[in-house]
Amino acid sequence: MAVGARVVPIAPPSLRTRVSALLDRDGILGPIFVSPAVLLLLILVAYPFCMALYFSMSNAFIGRPSHFIGLKNFINLWQSDAFRQTFQNAFVFTGAAVAVKLVLGISLALLLSEQLWFKRAIRGAILLPWVIPTALSTLGWWWMFNSLYSVVNWTGIATGLMDPPGPNWLGQKYYAMTAVVVVNIWRGLPFFAITILAGLVSIPKELYEAAEADGAGPVARFWLITLPLLKPVLTIVILFSTIFTFSEFNIIYVLTHGGPINSTHLFATLSRQIGLESGRIGEGAAISLYLFPVLMMVVYAQLKLVRKEVY
Amino acid sequence: MENVSRRHFLTATAGLAGILATGVPPARAQQRQISYLAWNNFAPASDKKLAEIGQRFTKDTGIKIRIDHIAAPQQAAKYASEVQTQAGHDLVEMRMHFPWLYEPQLLDVSDLAAEMEKKYGAAMPSAKDTAFVKGTWRAVPQYHAVFMAAYREDLFKKGGLKTPDTWEDLYVVGKELKKMGHPIGIPISQNYDSISTAGPVLWAFGGMEIDKDGKTVRINSAATEQMVEWYKKVYRDCMEPEVLSWTDASNNESLQQGKAGWIHNPVSAYIVARNNKMPTADVINHHRSLAGPSGQRHDTDAPRHIGIWKFSKNAEPAKEWIRYLLGKKEVYDEYIMSGDAFNLPVYANMQDHPVLKTDPKFAPLKQEGVQLHCYGWPAPASDKVQLITNSFILPNMLAKAVTGTSTKESVAWADNEMKKIIAG
Repeated sequence: MAVGARVVPIAPPSLRTRVSALLDRDGILGPIFVSPAVLLLLILVAYPFCMALYFSMSNAFIGRPSHFIGLKNFINLWQSDAFRQTFQNAFVFTGAAVAVKLVLGISLALLLSEQLWFKRAIRGAILLPWVIPTALSTLGWWWMFNSLYSVVNWTGIATGLMDPPGPNWLGQKYYAMTAVVVVNIWRGLPFFAITILAGLVSIPKELYEAAEADGAGPVARFWLITLPLLKPVLTIVILFSTIFTFSEFNIIYVLTHGGPINSTHLFATLSRQIGLESGRIGEGAAISLYLFPVLMMVVYAQLKLVRKEVY
Repeated sequence: MENVSRRHFLTATAGLAGILATGVPPARAQQRQISYLAWNNFAPASDKKLAEIGQRFTKDTGIKIRIDHIAAPQQAAKYASEVQTQAGHDLVEMRMHFPWLYEPQLLDVSDLAAEMEKKYGAAMPSAKDTAFVKGTWRAVPQYHAVFMAAYREDLFKKGGLKTPDTWEDLYVVGKELKKMGHPIGIPISQNYDSISTAGPVLWAFGGMEIDKDGKTVRINSAATEQMVEWYKKVYRDCMEPEVLSWTDASNNESLQQGKAGWIHNPVSAYIVARNNKMPTADVINHHRSLAGPSGQRHDTDAPRHIGIWKFSKNAEPAKEWIRYLLGKKEVYDEYIMSGDAFNLPVYANMQDHPVLKTDPKFAPLKQEGVQLHCYGWPAPASDKVQLITNSFILPNMLAKAVTGTSTKESVAWADNEMKKIIAG
């Protein structure tokens, strides 16, 4: 007698089982893990960026209705003396500061990689300018450069290096630019030194030993081993520093407020003055976004270079 | 822990959802609370008094008030961010032409202004011009500060120098003061004090930035060139280059610390020195504003007002605060007295205020024969005037001229910048 197959009803999987199964799939679990970060990026980066982009292409004025005007703000900015001066300042400031930070950073890193007494304490102390809030440390510098209380001038005059009353650090354009560059170097040097030091430490000692055995001196070892192997680190450090220095705000705002006669304004400080203090938000946003395409290209080119060298 | 019944839980969550949905707390939980953003007054005692009055206001009315302070140079940026986000303080202190700049965002406070004028007389012209926007009071006049000359009386005596009566006289005594190691201190940098001095010098020489029609730029004139030439020689012979990097406080500090021999400022430099018992307090004195070649005397009048943002959800309690601070005569008097003649009353019937008699050195504040104006005079008050102010065109024109740019080129630059603002 044939017995028909008995169909045993299978109970549908419970909700918990279904969720577990879903979470076992990489295609689902991955996006879930990433979504908080994406959400944060959307809220904190994408939204403000899109707003800035919209403002830059509008005639937005504080508290009044705005209209789309295309690229008019970007074109009109070239007619402004202050903007042209700022454009020039940004390149002078960034070029000078990054170049000096690079040279001093490599030198400091080489020094720190040597066997020194109190090595840890020294490495910690070097980081201080980087960790102190910039606005606070710059206030200290403001006092040092202040025409009434300048300790720099007092020391210079006392030691006979300067004639009284000494340079007017914040009141004359070349001195003012020098002052803001000096403070930026002081603040950014630890970033260079510590990052380059990390790169130095990762270079195998055997390479130096082999070179030394072949008769290479310290200069040859530096040019033929250290520098080539540091290239990826240096590229990243220069890349980051260039972006940070171009967008510097605190040092300029506290020390010179962009003066004298706009001679130390950078994009961030001019953008604040035009967009917030004068109320022309559209123009201010255009100033802050002016170099965005150029910086994007720099980032792209440098990262491509690094990938090419690494792989 | 006490057990929460299902009924309690449902009631609480439904209530919370209702509050979140409507954004309005139930009446019994509503705390009447307002916030007020004011600047860091150059007469610091008046900020302390403001806090004290705020506490009394809370006690008397049950309305909590939080008073915050901000440095004057940061006011514009802070207000801009509050307007853009439609969030922040309920009440804001407005200087000069700010009510014009933020007009669409400020509540109509004509009722309050009318109450004040009924009680104390008409608001001073400078206050009315700047707070009465297109027929509506957008802020209530609070007080005003008047610029004049502050100088080291002892140095003038020591050098046998005559107190100057004209800007040209100042150049003559300035040369001597510089030789004595006590230069003149007039800022030529991106700050408000630079404009507060450049304006009166320009007016005294017969010049102006914008014409009475508010549209025609008049900075490119022979009078401006004369004024620039005056600045150039004063910068060269009577001052030190430090003035190019000064902040609003620097001229005060230079006089108080014993360096500057003459500055152009309200009484704040003196009262801070006096109240802090600085050695220079005894030797600082004031004189009335200086005349130009035609004998005309002008000076800067800096009115301040209180406005209420339209986005404020506490307009009525905010109005109560203005009524309490300015509308109660005894409170207003107390507040004015605390400012040591830096915060002068702004209504007609209060012009002979007792604060002027608290120190004989305040006597020149009467400024007899001096015409007082806000920035931009004789142009009518407008947002454009405030934009020209916030763009620091006058000080930048002067800074260019004193650092080597030709007078004509500097003036032409200012003309171009002002025309762009007027056209925009």
